[in-house]
Amino acid sequence: MIGVRDFANRLLGRGDAAIAVPTFDGALKPNQKLEAADIVLECAAPEDLATDGRSIYVADGPRLLKLDGDVAAEARRFDRPISALAVLPDGGLAVALAGREIRIYLEPSAPKPYAVFASGLNAVNTLAPAPGGTLVATDGSMTYAVEDWTRDLLERQRSGRLLVLDPATGAAKTLAAGLGFAFGACATGDEVLVSESWMHRLIAIRRDGTMRIVLPHLPVYPSRLSRASGGGYWLTAFVARTLLVEFVLRERTYRKRMMAEIDPEYWIVPRLRSGLSFKEPLQGAHIKTMGVIKPWAPPRSYGLVIRLDAAGAPLYSLHSRVGGTNHGVVAAVECDNSLVMIAKGPGRILRLPVGPLNQEFGA
Amino acid sequence: MSDDIVLSLTKATKLYAGVAAIDDVDFDLRRGEIHALVGENGAGKSTLTKVMAGVVTLTSGTMTVDGVEASPQSPLEARQLGIAMVFQENSLVPTMTVAQNLFLGQERFYNRLRGIYIAAQQFLQSLNFDVAPTATVGVLGAAKKQMVEIARAVLHKAKVIIFDEPTASLTPEEKKYFFDLVRDLKRRGVSIVFISHALEEALVLADRITVLRDGKKVVTDDAAKFDRARIVQAMVGRDLSHTLYGVRKATVRKAGDRVLTVQNLKMAPMVKNNSLSVFAGQITGVFGLVGAGRTETFKIVSGVLKRDFFYGGEVFLRDKPVRFRVPAPAVRAGVAYVTEDRKVEGFFETASIARNIYLGLTSRFPRGRAFLSRREVNAIGSDWIKALKVRAIGNEAKVVELSGGNQQKVVIAKSLVQAPDLIIFDEPTRGVDVGAIVEIHELINRLADEGKAVVVISSYVPEIMALSDRILVSRQGKVVEEFSALEATEEKIMYAAIH
Repeated sequence: MIGVRDFANRLLGRGDAAIAVPTFDGALKPNQKLEAADIVLECAAPEDLATDGRSIYVADGPRLLKLDGDVAAEARRFDRPISALAVLPDGGLAVALAGREIRIYLEPSAPKPYAVFASGLNAVNTLAPAPGGTLVATDGSMTYAVEDWTRDLLERQRSGRLLVLDPATGAAKTLAAGLGFAFGACATGDEVLVSESWMHRLIAIRRDGTMRIVLPHLPVYPSRLSRASGGGYWLTAFVARTLLVEFVLRERTYRKRMMAEIDPEYWIVPRLRSGLSFKEPLQGAHIKTMGVIKPWAPPRSYGLVIRLDAAGAPLYSLHSRVGGTNHGVVAAVECDNSLVMIAKGPGRILRLPVGPLNQEFGA
Repeated sequence: MSDDIVLSLTKATKLYAGVAAIDDVDFDLRRGEIHALVGENGAGKSTLTKVMAGVVTLTSGTMTVDGVEASPQSPLEARQLGIAMVFQENSLVPTMTVAQNLFLGQERFYNRLRGIYIAAQQFLQSLNFDVAPTATVGVLGAAKKQMVEIARAVLHKAKVIIFDEPTASLTPEEKKYFFDLVRDLKRRGVSIVFISHALEEALVLADRITVLRDGKKVVTDDAAKFDRARIVQAMVGRDLSHTLYGVRKATVRKAGDRVLTVQNLKMAPMVKNNSLSVFAGQITGVFGLVGAGRTETFKIVSGVLKRDFFYGGEVFLRDKPVRFRVPAPAVRAGVAYVTEDRKVEGFFETASIARNIYLGLTSRFPRGRAFLSRREVNAIGSDWIKALKVRAIGNEAKVVELSGGNQQKVVIAKSLVQAPDLIIFDEPTRGVDVGAIVEIHELINRLADEGKAVVVISSYVPEIMALSDRILVSRQGKVVEEFSALEATEEKIMYAAIH
């Protein structure tokens, strides 16, 4: 029966085959706020942010940087790139290395970890403190490594997991599996908010493993979450959805050939940055409206941060649109009345004052 | 001066069952002038013009045409006197061609069709009207139909042409064209009487303005001596200028849950990849010129029209995909659509108010109802008549007997009785008088305050700006721009709608 319905949907262009993308409107109405953000730091490979309330910690490849105001200093260095970072309430530090190992230190400068989780991990991309001294982690994909997320998307993998780790006992529990690239988690009460990138939604997973959808039909691929002062959350999105990519995701044979024959750099997939080569797909076009030729291009890369209220409803959003540079936003944390963000595309740490934003958007 | 008067009415009174529709009205029309008649619905404007056009006769008083007393007993007699009337709902035969409509009633025993077309072509060209004489009237737009009506009036050598709400169904560009036509008629020495609820039109177009209230003439003066506030005050006897489009929104309501999501909706050729969202507790205004696909988009949402069969896009109601093939399931899902064309789609005009309102409720019953309880019908009717302040003799009054504003309230009541979550108002105040506009606006605001998701489709920018919390601008079949009510200006909205 499902097969018949899928066939009918594919024939008529309905359901999953509608190739329809939600619009950026309401609280997601585009602006250029991210383009106006201050550039605090430029890094080679920024990946994640964490804060202890005073300083910002930046994961830059294998380096851990400590950012005090505008001054950045290397706090420590690891043997592999950091794929996720969290500062724990007791001042401890949790890092995921290359997505395959999680180490927990009593303090950021501690020489040795007091807990290590290395078994069965593949693409850990988020770490966040949870009640009872535990930690939640999202393992984006059981199939591909952290850096191979485009392949995971093109193969429409659903192998992401949400894990609860207890450093005290060394126990790791899988709270949910089969997620479409889990990327971002934030523990709240007896639930954990998780962003599911390939499903374009925010979900809440309870301790018993049951799930509810908090924010569906996003026009973007959501990434990490962090708490906002005054309640609510900051949700980042590393790229926007486009009709072309949605269409390619419906065409299995096409994708297979593309992945086999084309240089991955030029695949029709979202990217964290674009406009670097004339060989790129989606680099530009024009449409003629009322006799006037206007430039137009679907975004191959995009930057977005969404301010959510405590219930997960969007209040306002900060954008870097087509033609902008601060794309591929993968992390945002609020510290000292400022919002600090990573634009992974250009390798920048950005900062925007939160007060004026709240005032402007009436949040 | 009296030579200049082409038509005058002295102490004109018309009684309907002892009730005065017009009472002791003095009116004069100068040669080659544009004279606007304004007033609330029920003020007597239509009756006054119908007297001039021979549709009704005076109970007492006199009418003179070119200084000679006249009492036309029928429109034909009025036409012979040189008085023609162009009605709000035009009187053309839709299945006939333009040329056939022009010469309707003037046919000879033997008519050569080619000769009629040639004569019509020459005549239309002499008026600078860009209408093909061979075109079937039914396929013409509202503006072109109006041109044919005007051409017919001029062809009949009318020296007085009366327009009843001529611009109600025209787009802003068409209105501008219509104004040029009227000014051209004036240059030809034709006197124009026009009824309009859009006061700006009266101020811009007319040489003189007469204001009627409750069947009595309040004032006649040169248009230059009026401003909007003075007209409104004369019309309603109170100052409404600060409640109607007068004050800019200082705050907007915050968006609640996303109630409606439209994604890449297609209905060739009107709706092209349209995407938008509508939120609870807010008024979402949708502005666009005719042909922008606004009405069609929301008719698809409410099951009145169907999207394209293949790749027609998606509609989500509270994040669940829906595809309504007829309106009844949409009503049951909490979607109400208040039509822009109330006379055709809004009500059964010979049925009572209560029955019309109850009909709205019946679509909520999955299997319909075999028997209607008269008591229930009347109770529901009475409640809504009271709630929306419908001015009628009783709930048994027929809708056709009501003024435009009250008819619109019945149409709105018919939708609200369905207890919808999403209410779509399509041109909610078209052809409605100022007093009723205020009441309808208050109602729309109240619905949003109650947490309903409200959509207001309008071609009138001040209305969109006065009502909306967020404004979507539609162009060529899709939403192209979104403004917060706080940042929107008329210029920005019009620019987005055109460019």
